Amino acid sequence: MKKIVLDDMMLTKALPTTAGSRMLEGYMSLFDAEVVERLTAAGYEMAGKAQVGEFAIDLVGETAYTGTLTENGKLTAASAKALENDTVKGVISLDVNGAPRRIAAQNGLVFVKPTYGTVSRYGTVPVACSGETVGVLARNIADCREVLSAMAGHDDKDGTMHADALCKKAADGCEKPVKKVAVIKMEADADITAELEAAKAEMVANGIEITEIEADVLSAAKTAWNILMCAELCNNVSRYDGIKFGYRTQNYTTIDELYTNSRTESFGALLKTAILFGSDVLSTKNYMAKYDKALRIRRVLAEAFGKLFADFDAVLMPACSKPAYTETDVKENPYIAFEENRYTAPASITGLPAVVAGGVQLVGPAFSEGALLDLAALLVKEGK
Amino acid sequence: MKFETVIGLEVHVELATKSKIFCSCSAKFGAEQNDHVCPACCGMPGMLPIVNKNVVNLGMTAGMMLNCHINRTTTFDKKSYYYPDLPCSYQTTQWFAPVAVNGLVDIETSKGKKSIRIKQIHMEEDAGKLVHDDWTNTSLVDFNRTSVPLIEIVSQPDLSSAEEVVAYLERLRSLLRFAKVSDCRMEQGSMRCDVNLSVRPEGSDQLGVRTEMKNMNSLSAIVRAIEYETARHIDAIENGTEELVQETRRWDDVKGKSFAMRNKETAGDYRYFPDPNIMPVVIDDTWYDGIKNSLPEFPEVKKARYMSEFGLGEYDADILTGSRALCDCFEGAVAECGNAKEAANWLISDCMNLLNKNQQTADQLTVNGTSLGKLIKLVTDGTIGRGNAKKILIAMFEKDLDPAKYAEENGLILSNDTGLIDKVIKEAIAADPKAVADFKGGKEKALMALFGKCMKQLKGNCDPQVLRTMLIDEINKA
Amino acid sequence: MDQTTLQSLEKLNQLRLTDAEKEAVLAFFARQDKEMAVLDAIDTERVERMVHVMPILTVVREDVEKKLFTRDELQKGAPETMDGYWQVPRLVE
Repeated sequence: MKKIVLDDMMLTKALPTTAGSRMLEGYMSLFDAEVVERLTAAGYEMAGKAQVGEFAIDLVGETAYTGTLTENGKLTAASAKALENDTVKGVISLDVNGAPRRIAAQNGLVFVKPTYGTVSRYGTVPVACSGETVGVLARNIADCREVLSAMAGHDDKDGTMHADALCKKAADGCEKPVKKVAVIKMEADADITAELEAAKAEMVANGIEITEIEADVLSAAKTAWNILMCAELCNNVSRYDGIKFGYRTQNYTTIDELYTNSRTESFGALLKTAILFGSDVLSTKNYMAKYDKALRIRRVLAEAFGKLFADFDAVLMPACSKPAYTETDVKENPYIAFEENRYTAPASITGLPAVVAGGVQLVGPAFSEGALLDLAALLVKEGK
Repeated sequence: MKFETVIGLEVHVELATKSKIFCSCSAKFGAEQNDHVCPACCGMPGMLPIVNKNVVNLGMTAGMMLNCHINRTTTFDKKSYYYPDLPCSYQTTQWFAPVAVNGLVDIETSKGKKSIRIKQIHMEEDAGKLVHDDWTNTSLVDFNRTSVPLIEIVSQPDLSSAEEVVAYLERLRSLLRFAKVSDCRMEQGSMRCDVNLSVRPEGSDQLGVRTEMKNMNSLSAIVRAIEYETARHIDAIENGTEELVQETRRWDDVKGKSFAMRNKETAGDYRYFPDPNIMPVVIDDTWYDGIKNSLPEFPEVKKARYMSEFGLGEYDADILTGSRALCDCFEGAVAECGNAKEAANWLISDCMNLLNKNQQTADQLTVNGTSLGKLIKLVTDGTIGRGNAKKILIAMFEKDLDPAKYAEENGLILSNDTGLIDKVIKEAIAADPKAVADFKGGKEKALMALFGKCMKQLKGNCDPQVLRTMLIDEINKA
Repeated sequence: MDQTTLQSLEKLNQLRLTDAEKEAVLAFFARQDKEMAVLDAIDTERVERMVHVMPILTVVREDVEKKLFTRDELQKGAPETMDGYWQVPRLVE
């Protein structure tokens, strides 16, 4: 039987869903995520869960309440570990802040973040709903495509979805093969640059026209996404209050103590910062200057991509700054995830599809994930 | 110095839908605690909001009834604050593009006619309910009302007295009940009201310090609260008894006083932002026209028509147009039997009596108009007697039925068997010679006693006129 | 962002930071503030805000009632309940 592992943002009846937070330790969902139902119906076996960072906003999962996974001082990810087992086809991951893309890039894996609204978010723990997407982490392009194809499709229970035919076409088809690629110049270390060079060489060898371009506007994506993501997160995690389910402090007499102590004791430092920042950008004082501004920047970015895709079929860019993160990186800058997402935020904030393979990232117009996967197959020299 | 009161109202009305606004839980009133709850409306993660189309229908209907402009693209936003009756710690409401704006409601008071401007109507979800338990000194949370659809009708500060406020609320209630937007039952909380009030010297164009009294749910309490609060403001301005501050106050109807509230609503910034999970609702022409064409006549238009077209008196027309259910039944009955006077009589006397007996309001009338029309026809053409018709009406209150078929099945058709009638009369006379003598001696009442006995014996299946004539003939013979 | 504003933010979000955490958070805010310059450099005066990334409109459902779970199922993981209610410390009006 073909096995699937779910990252712990997917709600399941059979196993607890924690979203990497002590707040949800042992939390049992009454229902399965739509993707779980679809994959089960398609004959996949749900083989278990992979831990995620608290509410999936960190680098690669290091903020999970269960502890940071490392190997020789380097951060590792539970989802990548799961794929060391050959019988596992893929790990279903919620891409909120680019973590699965960084994991793919740093572990020689493939990740597809499909077009926003082609895979149901019903039954995923909500964080930044305007941009987060359910994707597939796998060892190769073929597995990635197969699993995506099994789970994409319209769902009436998610009010942000495209018509079924569009969802299916995006996952399965490739109407327009990639012939012209824009390479976005971005800073990264020597190893990542080498991977980008290799990708470019492979494209050229396959007759794909590449053009190096400056796209300064994309540098606004990170800051704008941090604003939108934290604001939505602040609102979405305000439901965790120690009353209905989940963690409740032992230490309270009043309702405010119940709220504050339950949240303070069970939430981690990065999450707390994100909540406070998200609350601040939504305040009456800052709404127009920050939140509304970020919503407008989102359109600026969507239009910038639109212009790019008038001339090119896809863009090539890094997915992270270096091939591995260390514990020291996070100690020195606890907010490193909110800077490393400069590579992933452009596709997050616009909902465009992205594929990471061979250590690099491809971003294309809406519904082009089929074509991006074909292109990625060339890069990793995988037969169709 | 003379003062004037400036009042604006925020009226919350629960919509008459079967299910909640964003999930499929029942929206029905009066279930056992937490029986109408699902993961979405008790704050669990993972379910996504899908807008109930009927909520938009009713929101638009309310907007049209109150002469509003309908926003053809309407959106939903999130409002954040912590309170145990709010399971997600946010309420989904409409902040940026409410369904309806800029309306007008006409009212009439002892001082004449006046138009009250409506600022906006927005759709939103209700919060849950807290019960305070003295034994355990805890509060208990019930999420049944959570996510039940509401509209909030926000007026401009155009009202200036308790009388106007009452007229305005009664007008809203009448229009919204007529359009079947809500049952507007204040005692069940399906209509409640926040009163914003300030006082200023007459003729001044500056507004005074405003206070807000929340969740008022009876007209008499609203009147008392407005009178108290007005006096308090004037006292503060004139005599400096206290310093007025902009605040939310709670009205204690037992003590007859308002108190400053120390609560959630003053807790700070609500941080509104557009809900990313709910796409803009675009009301196209087909949708818009469908709602527009389904609007009922305004009650006063209907009343005038009932008087001119059907020749009803003002009193009768007034009663009928006091309830949409009565109007629907009346119009159905008239269409069937063509006899407006009779239809009005049946509704105003018989149906209203039965409703009273069942402790129901006119809006709860379920009798089918066509069936009532059929019943009226059976009476007027002499097929059944009036007494038996009333029995059939009682059955019609239980469930809709065909009166002719029911009459036949239950032996309620008028008998023309004069042989039987004759036999019954003879027996009655023989059994009660005293009554016969009394009647002959001029006691009219004695005839009624005999008539009643005969009618009972005949099980009501007899034309009273026929019985009376035959009875008198027989007595005279005796 | 100063200590007082941060304190009111903590209160508003039912969180309490240690002094060390406060320091780190203030540094984060300062950093994000500086980055606003990148956004402010882009003229968005005539740009319409974009809440939803894909042009999907009007997703509504019919007014049909459906019961998904029982009260007992919903309260299985509740920290405290009483008589079918969720239970919290007494609230004063």
